[in-house]
Amino acid sequence: MKLTSKSILYYLVISLPLLIIACLFSYYLIRSELRDGTDEILTREKLSAEKLINSSTNLNAITLLPDSFFTVKVMPFHINSQQYSDTIMYDKVDNELKNYRVSKSYYNHNKTTYLISILKPTLEEDELAEGLLSSLFLVIFFLLLSFLFVNWILSKWVWKPFYNTLSILNKYELKKNELLILNPSNTKEFNELNDALIKMTDKIYTDYIRQKEFTENASHEIQTPLAVIRSKIELLIQSENLKEDEMLQIQTIETAANKLSTLNKALLLLVKIENHQFKDASELSLKTHIENILAQYNWVLTDKNMEIKTAFKNDLLFKINPELLDILLANLLQNAIRHNFKNGSIEVKIIGHTLRIANTGDELKIKPEELFERFKKDTAKTESLGIGLAIVKSITDIYNIDIKYFYENKYHIFELVFPLKHA
Amino acid sequence: MRILLVEDEIELQKSIVQYLNYAGNLVEAVSEFRKASDKIHEFDYDCILIDINITNGNGFDLVKELKQAKSKAGIIIISAKNSLDDKITGLDLGADDYLTKPFHLSELNARVKALIRRKNFEGGKAIAINEITIYPDDRRVLVKEQELDLTTTEFRLLLYLITNKNRVVSKNSISQHLLNDDDIEQIDNHNFVYSHLKNLRKKLVEKGSEDYIQTIYGIGYKFKVND
Repeated sequence: MKLTSKSILYYLVISLPLLIIACLFSYYLIRSELRDGTDEILTREKLSAEKLINSSTNLNAITLLPDSFFTVKVMPFHINSQQYSDTIMYDKVDNELKNYRVSKSYYNHNKTTYLISILKPTLEEDELAEGLLSSLFLVIFFLLLSFLFVNWILSKWVWKPFYNTLSILNKYELKKNELLILNPSNTKEFNELNDALIKMTDKIYTDYIRQKEFTENASHEIQTPLAVIRSKIELLIQSENLKEDEMLQIQTIETAANKLSTLNKALLLLVKIENHQFKDASELSLKTHIENILAQYNWVLTDKNMEIKTAFKNDLLFKINPELLDILLANLLQNAIRHNFKNGSIEVKIIGHTLRIANTGDELKIKPEELFERFKKDTAKTESLGIGLAIVKSITDIYNIDIKYFYENKYHIFELVFPLKHA
Repeated sequence: MRILLVEDEIELQKSIVQYLNYAGNLVEAVSEFRKASDKIHEFDYDCILIDINITNGNGFDLVKELKQAKSKAGIIIISAKNSLDDKITGLDLGADDYLTKPFHLSELNARVKALIRRKNFEGGKAIAINEITIYPDDRRVLVKEQELDLTTTEFRLLLYLITNKNRVVSKNSISQHLLNDDDIEQIDNHNFVYSHLKNLRKKLVEKGSEDYIQTIYGIGYKFKVND
C-alpha cells in the first residue's frame, strides 16, 4: 500500500469515530436547544393564557394559536408547579403519531383553580437523526474526495523527488563502478535522505573497491611463494633416493599447490572480469566457438563414452570479448562433462537467441540459486574448485546475458538468453 | 647455452638455476636491475629470462635496453601477472615469449630450448636420441629410420619429455603443457596424460624402440636415456 493511501486510511479511521461523536453531540445539543426553545414558547403561551383567564369569562372560547392544542380545566385542588413533558399523540391530519411537548400548570383565579395544558408539536427525533446522518455521509464523502485529491497532489508533486531517488537506487549497481548521483529537491527531508544515501553508497563503494584491490593484491602476492613451492617440488622429485611413500607425499603437496594456484588464477580472473578489464569486443559466432571447444574436449568425451548432440538451428552472433566468450563456454561445457555419468549425454542447442546446454546427471543437493556462488559445490568432488560457475555468472552479468539453471527429466539444463542487439 | 636469469625472489632464482644447469646450460642469476643491465652489456647470452617486477626497476626497461643494444639473445618474460596487456607490451617490445608464474621448471626448460632452437635456426635440425630422431619443425619422428605416425598431442608429449630427458616430469606439468593453459578448471587431466602416454609408448615400442619412458610412482614420467 502506498504511503499516501496509508495515511489517508489512517485519517479516515480517526475521523470516522470523531464525526460520529460530533454527530451524536450535535444531535443531543440540537434536541435540547429545540426543547428549551419550545419550553420558552410554552411558558410565554402559558402567561398569555393566564392573562386570558384574568380578562375572560368564557374559557371555552379560548384558542391561542391554530397549531397548538390548548385546554383549560377547572381543578379541585392546586399544585404550585409547572411541568414540562413529552408525549406522543395521534395526528389526524397527517395520519401518524407525532411528538408533542406538553406544559401543565395550575393557575388560581377568583378562587378557582385552573389547569392550563398547552401542547406543541416538536421536531421528530428520527427526522433529526436522519438529517444529521445524511449530512454525516455527505461530509465523509467530501472528505474522501479531498483526501484523494490531496493524495494525488502529494504523490505527483511533493513525493516526486522521493520516487526519483527510488528509481535511481533501483538501477544502481556497485559493479558498474559508478558513484551514486541523486537530484537535489526543495524538500528538506528528501535532501537529507539523499545526502545520507550518497554518503552510505560512497562508503560502500570505497569498501567494495578496497576489497577488490585486496583480493587482487593478495592473489598477486600469493603467486610468488607458490612459484617457489612448485619449483622446489619439481626439484625434489628429481631425487633418485626417494622412497615410494615419500614420493606419494610429495605428490599430495604438488596437487594441493596446483589447486591453490588454479584457485588463485580463478580469483584474479574474477576480479578482472568484474573490473571490466576485458574490453575489446567483437561480433563472434557462438557456433564456431562451441565447436572449437568441443573439439578440444574430444578426448575426454571419447574416454568417458559420452554422447554429444548439437543442434544449431541458427548461428548466434554476439558482441563479446573473445577471451571471455571462450572462458564462458569452456566452463559451461566442462561443467556438463564433469557432472555427468559415464556413457552419459550432452545436448547443446541454439534456438534464436537462446543457448541451451543440457547434460545427464544426478540431481543437485544444494539449492539451484546457490549454484552460481563462489566455492559452492554440490559434493566434495575434489577435482572441482566450485568457482567455474561463479566465473560464468560474472561474465553473463557484465554482458546482460540472462542465465538460468533447472533440472528436468534427469537433465541439468543451463539456459542462456543473449540480449538482442542494442544500439 | 649461456643463460641470464633476472629474478629477485631468491629461492625461485635458485630453483631455476639448478634445473636449467642440470639441463646442460650455464646459468647466471641476478636479482637487481642495475646488475642485470651491467651483465647484458658485458656478455652475450643465448637466452635471457626477465621477471617484470625486479628490485630497483622494471623488466620491460631491460627488454628495451637489450633491443637498443641490438642483442641477439632470446628473451623470455616471466611474470606474476597473467595479463594480456602485459603479454602484448612484452612481445611488442621484442620479447620472444611470456610465461606466467607459477610455472613448471620443465615448461620453462622446454620454452628456453625451443627459443634457442628458433634463434639459432636449428629448426630444420633433428634431435637424435639413440634410435629416435625428431624433426621439430616438420613434426616428424623416425624410429630406426622408419616413419612413426603420431597424433599432434603425442608428438608434443614426446618432444616435451625428450626436452626434459632424464628428469621427472610431473603429470600436472604435462597436462598444462598439452592443454590450454588458460582453462581454469581442467577436466580429468591425469587420465588425459595417461591415455596419451600409453599410446605413445605403444607406438614407440611397436616400431622397435627401447621403452625409455619410466613411470615415477604416481607423480609423473621420465624419459630415461644413458648419455
